[in-house]
Amino acid sequence: MSLTLIGIFGIFALLFILFVFGIPVGFAMGLVGFCGFAYVISLDAGFNMLATVTWDTFSRYGLTVIPLFIFMGQIAFYSGVNEKLYTAAYKWVGHIKGGIAMATVLACSAFAAICGSNAATAATMTTVALPQMNKYKYEPMLSTGAIACGSTLGVVIPPSVVLIIIGLSTEQSIAKLFYGGLGAGILLALLLTLTVYVLCCIHPEWGPVGEKTTFKEKILSLAGAVEMLILFLVVMIGLYFGLFTPTEAGAIGSFFAVVIGLVQKNLSWDDFYNSVFDTLKISCMVIVIITGAMVFGRFLAITRIPFDIASWVVSLPFSKLTIMAIIFGIYIIGGAVMDALALLLITIPIFFPVAVELGYDPIWFGVTITIVTTLGAVTPPVGATTYVVGGMAKDVPLERVFKGVTYFLPAYILCVILMMLFPEVVLFLPGLLN
Amino acid sequence: MDLLIKINKFLNKLLTLTGGLFLIGMILLTCANIFIRQFYIPIRGTFELMGYAGAVVTAFALGYTQFTNGHISVDVLVNTYPKPLKRTVSIINHGVCCMFFLVTSWHIVQKALTLKNAGELSETLRIIYYPFTLAVAFGCFILALALFTDLLKAILPQKEALK
Repeated sequence: MSLTLIGIFGIFALLFILFVFGIPVGFAMGLVGFCGFAYVISLDAGFNMLATVTWDTFSRYGLTVIPLFIFMGQIAFYSGVNEKLYTAAYKWVGHIKGGIAMATVLACSAFAAICGSNAATAATMTTVALPQMNKYKYEPMLSTGAIACGSTLGVVIPPSVVLIIIGLSTEQSIAKLFYGGLGAGILLALLLTLTVYVLCCIHPEWGPVGEKTTFKEKILSLAGAVEMLILFLVVMIGLYFGLFTPTEAGAIGSFFAVVIGLVQKNLSWDDFYNSVFDTLKISCMVIVIITGAMVFGRFLAITRIPFDIASWVVSLPFSKLTIMAIIFGIYIIGGAVMDALALLLITIPIFFPVAVELGYDPIWFGVTITIVTTLGAVTPPVGATTYVVGGMAKDVPLERVFKGVTYFLPAYILCVILMMLFPEVVLFLPGLLN
Repeated sequence: MDLLIKINKFLNKLLTLTGGLFLIGMILLTCANIFIRQFYIPIRGTFELMGYAGAVVTAFALGYTQFTNGHISVDVLVNTYPKPLKRTVSIINHGVCCMFFLVTSWHIVQKALTLKNAGELSETLRIIYYPFTLAVAFGCFILALALFTDLLKAILPQKEALK
């Protein structure tokens, strides 16, 4: 059997055990990678590679950024910052048509700037924003759709674990990816807000106006929320001017998030304890997938399959745009059936060389596929974020939550089209880093 | 079975707490390094220590993450299986993964012993680092134990159902 054939067989074997046996993604990639490597080289070489890759990945300095940024997000989550962000956004835009749904999207964007978890954002925003929208008789499809889609901004707006992982696996600058994600995230947030506005213009009964607030109330609402946003700015500016590495930014962010939580008396001992346990659990899950992907990557590398696929795709009689559209199509379908992070780690070794070979900017590609795969977080059958919202919004049937989400899908598609037409949306800020 | 679950729970809580202490240590060390280097020189070996502490953080959370079903899997298809098939798949899944992590753990121990026998030292601080490698092997072993417990739960579901 040729090496290419073994590689293709390995990819299919991985998909088979992932879907048919439901083996955790990281374990499955490690298992298939190890078996493939042992088959091609030798059993001893396979064992050696497995032990070396596991130790090297676990002890890699670059990966320590993951628990640190997750911890920062968890502290922000347990301190109840998102509630304050929502109140602030509500005071500022709640009085306009569909304003509370817009406030929800804006609060999601702001919270995404501190925390990178879709599920955490969705869970708290459902608790905080949904009762308010119900009180003002908002259409449930609009309110739940806005929460579910707004929550997906968590993986696009930095600091995002997904962008960190793309940076580590493609050897691109994490700071540049963060700044690229910032541009794209702001664009997506604006488009989601615009969607709410357009929907409320077409169906005014979907988003009645909320209470008017005075300027003083608007300013006062910023207290308690603005500190965490300043922390985000400190982290981003520090990265921008090269004052610290991403890992150091994560440590500084975590340290001051705890300090802010303690000073504001929003962080109890139990909250701190839960933050630590949740951080360890989430970061372990992420690093296990990365380790599995590293083992699988070693196997793919010896079969040379990523390079073969890249040269084959480039030689196809299609335009660059068509090939990129096909790749995005694969990401949309893949994102609908599996977790975005796992999908990215499995496919990046295959599609990243293709994108580079086609002449696309690696930072642009990394940020764009993040937006494309994040669609999977709200679309069935996986749509984890939608399930969280649907599960918590007891009086709204899940079908209506999914229907609500479909109203926001054009915003994602438009966002990707704009990013393709105007790559500067992503590349302008990273370009300044040069 | 109950005893095994209790042992698992205790070990995982203890290890996760230890991992948590390492995480806090990492934050303090990095912040101290940033602060001190403004006035004096960077703390020697910070990168190295961060890497080793990061390894302990991840390894010691392996079992806890499994115990709390934290590892991501694609269960779109598996959720549609009838109960007996689901159980069979669960037995295969946990059995294979348990063996895999036992083997991984054993080979990391071998690697640690090689490092020990060769007298391998870290590049900057010149300290022995094989104990951290052993910690990773221990984390993998605890994960294998958690998977073994899940395997037993899949094989002996009747007792659970009767409770």
